[in-house]
Amino acid sequence: MGAAGRPAVAIAGLSWTYERRSEPALRDVDLTIDQGEFLGVVGPNESGKSTLLYVIQGLIPSNFNGIWRGRVELFGKDTSAMSGLERAAAAGLVFADPEAQFTAMTVEEELVFGLENLGLDHRQIELRLQRVSDLIDLEELYDRSPYDLSGGQKQRVAIACVLAMEPRVLLLDEPTSMIDPRGKKEIFEVLRRLKDTDHTVVVVEHNLEELAALADRVCLVEGGRVRPPLPAGEFFARVDELIEAGLQPPQVAQTFAELARAGLYDGPPPYRFEPAVSAAREVLSHG
Amino acid sequence: MAVAVPAPRRMRKTLLGAVPMTSPFYALHPVTRLVGLLVLAAVPLFIYMPEANLAFLSLLLVLFVGGRVDLRGLRIYLPLVMTVAFFMFLVVLLSPDYASGYIPIHLGPFTTYYQSLRWTIASYVRIMAMLFATILYFSTNHEREILVALRTLRVPFAVSYIVGLSVRAAGMFMEDFRVIRQAEQARGLDSSSLRLRDRTRLYGMYLVPLFTIALRRAEEISNALAARGYSMSGKVLTGGVRHDFVRARYRLRAIDACLILLMVAGLAVVAYLQVRSGWFGLERSPLLMAWQRHLGGTG
Amino acid sequence: MAEAYVSVQDLDFHYPDGTPALRGVNLEIGTNEFVALIGQNGSGKTTLGKCLNGLLKPSAGAVLVDGLDTRSRGIVKKMATRVGYVFQNPDHQLFNNTVFKEIAYGPRNLGMDEAETRARVYEAARVAGVSESIFDEHPFFLTKGLRQRVAIASILAMRPRVLIVDEPTTGQDFRQSLEVMNFLERLWREEGHSIVIVTHEMSLAARYSRRTVLLGHGQVLADGPTREVLSQTDTLARSDVLPTQVTRLAQRLTDLGVRPDVILVEELVEEMVRVHQRHRRAVG
Repeated sequence: MGAAGRPAVAIAGLSWTYERRSEPALRDVDLTIDQGEFLGVVGPNESGKSTLLYVIQGLIPSNFNGIWRGRVELFGKDTSAMSGLERAAAAGLVFADPEAQFTAMTVEEELVFGLENLGLDHRQIELRLQRVSDLIDLEELYDRSPYDLSGGQKQRVAIACVLAMEPRVLLLDEPTSMIDPRGKKEIFEVLRRLKDTDHTVVVVEHNLEELAALADRVCLVEGGRVRPPLPAGEFFARVDELIEAGLQPPQVAQTFAELARAGLYDGPPPYRFEPAVSAAREVLSHG
Repeated sequence: MAVAVPAPRRMRKTLLGAVPMTSPFYALHPVTRLVGLLVLAAVPLFIYMPEANLAFLSLLLVLFVGGRVDLRGLRIYLPLVMTVAFFMFLVVLLSPDYASGYIPIHLGPFTTYYQSLRWTIASYVRIMAMLFATILYFSTNHEREILVALRTLRVPFAVSYIVGLSVRAAGMFMEDFRVIRQAEQARGLDSSSLRLRDRTRLYGMYLVPLFTIALRRAEEISNALAARGYSMSGKVLTGGVRHDFVRARYRLRAIDACLILLMVAGLAVVAYLQVRSGWFGLERSPLLMAWQRHLGGTG
Repeated sequence: MAEAYVSVQDLDFHYPDGTPALRGVNLEIGTNEFVALIGQNGSGKTTLGKCLNGLLKPSAGAVLVDGLDTRSRGIVKKMATRVGYVFQNPDHQLFNNTVFKEIAYGPRNLGMDEAETRARVYEAARVAGVSESIFDEHPFFLTKGLRQRVAIASILAMRPRVLIVDEPTTGQDFRQSLEVMNFLERLWREEGHSIVIVTHEMSLAARYSRRTVLLGHGQVLADGPTREVLSQTDTLARSDVLPTQVTRLAQRLTDLGVRPDVILVEELVEEMVRVHQRHRRAVG
């Protein structure tokens, strides 16, 4: 029952240094994430992207030792005042390694465990399972054990487990980096469906082409600093900066940035495939 | 070329192998099956007579077949069966127990004693009976059912949680182990050509990567569990009672109660008969007594 | 023309439980090639990679490496010196407590004396970009990128002609991926190795590999110059492989005169510039 207009996540002046490290992993982060938005987080490895997600969920500082400065709020509530289960019910976090997120013996047990932790009764648990399976098809997998599942399937189970707790914010840390291409397709499909719900979604991704098709805004994290998020169109328009930062922009954006340099194209480069096709046909047939 | 259609799944993989997809045992509540294991594994403790234990093993065989277990899967236990036999009989051959009145038996250059030998034979058959009772259990129970049985017995939450995590961790270990063997082979490690001394170093080569990977993953698992609010205490957000969804699916029926009572009663009877009147003792074994008479000892 | 160093003849492979993985595979790898092995998961590409150095033995057919049949007994060491295999996760292969010992393990295990071993270690470390300053470090504490280099160095120390690398860029950011690929390219171009990468990254395969082999359902669906294979959208689809964005874009513009076999960004730009100029001339 949060007031409309209150941001989903509000981070102010946040710095975090892991113990035994000399440099902060995150420095002076100010970030606001709106309710219902789909935010992409990109950047080179070891730049602080995962740390950012952990901080939002509250895993830092509760599961880590280090030095904390600043404040994080979820829907106006200070995360340091929330218990582990309260935070899990407010912000779900999906990690990169599907193996490390599967601790039960069957899919059904895995899904149900978190709900039991919430103290739900049988009927409520069944209801939640029903709601989750509307978004992610898992029913025929219920009886399977982890040895029988592909990486993509395990990762979908992980997302479903987190969704079943019905958090309003969903955080995903490189959900496809350890999955094969078919699995990646499945995960991006799930993300597409999530985009249509009123969840607030934050995804750390290296695959900018897929992210481009999903994100409302994107922010770049480099050296522990979080740059202000930009609308996707503006973000992917800065092709040279992205390459400079060590990222691989969508190939269509790169193509049009080059065409612009060659004088064949004017305006912001398309960063999604279909608009790029139309723009390319424009360029070739009308000059 | 026709694409091979995979055969319909008859077995489901578990940590220790596989269990059949369908089995009459699945009609019973997991706790009944767990009690079954405890009873069946305890019976040989009271039976010394090899013939009785062999009869018991035949009963187990009937249960294996009736339970739809694929007997070919039992072949992997053959090395274990033979190794135990080898060592037990080696010991009784080389350094048998001796007390006065023991009847000597000469086998080539070795001297052993009838009483020691018969004790070894009886013990071996008992061990095999207990072993196969355990194998029967793990061949017809999926890990989930084992955990449900523990939870039905009201084992404390932390204990069943840790058992569950350990089973899962063991499974991950096995999968990693397979990859590590291949990875080391790619570095020129030929495990089949190694002498015994080098084989021990071999396990170092396997263990280090296993632990490296396990350590790295442990941190990730801990983060994943913490992020979902899982804790060892089993405490529940609303402060109320924790509902066990999966366990609720299994119902204890009349047949379960009957079988449990029957099995426990059966065990009690066997125990009583043996403790009170030595019904299953070595002295009652027709074969052993015949042998003893043949050797010239008193019956 | 490169002579066949690895010759795969009518290879069939199925797993102990009967699942078929490879069917009738015929393939040759020469002594100085850069090959990408692509295909969906379950297509058999990893299985094929492991058959190429004897980690897996054929169920039918044969794999000959430098004339040696991989089914022969006692060939593990001989294979390690001919076809090296680097696993996706370096942690599976590292088990010594210093970097030096790690790289030295292969040569020592092959029975070389200390002088020769040292020479090999220094050489492999130089080529793989492993600095001497970390020779005494414990591999566990290195970054993933460095561990991968140490794993590669430890394989290179055995001087295999062919190096098979399973997913060299998983979990790496773009800059790190380029470093690995550039390094593999140097191994091919300057050190004369044959490189076979098993990969899902079409854009990297397009930029670095000269030849691409596409596997699907255990069979070779395509085998040829990278440009040809990566632009055959229909064939790629049979193994659930999607061409790169530029290729897909180019193929939506073929009716306007763009070549369909574009696989790199700069190629598409060139093509579009060319077509645009031709159009201007025609109109103007």
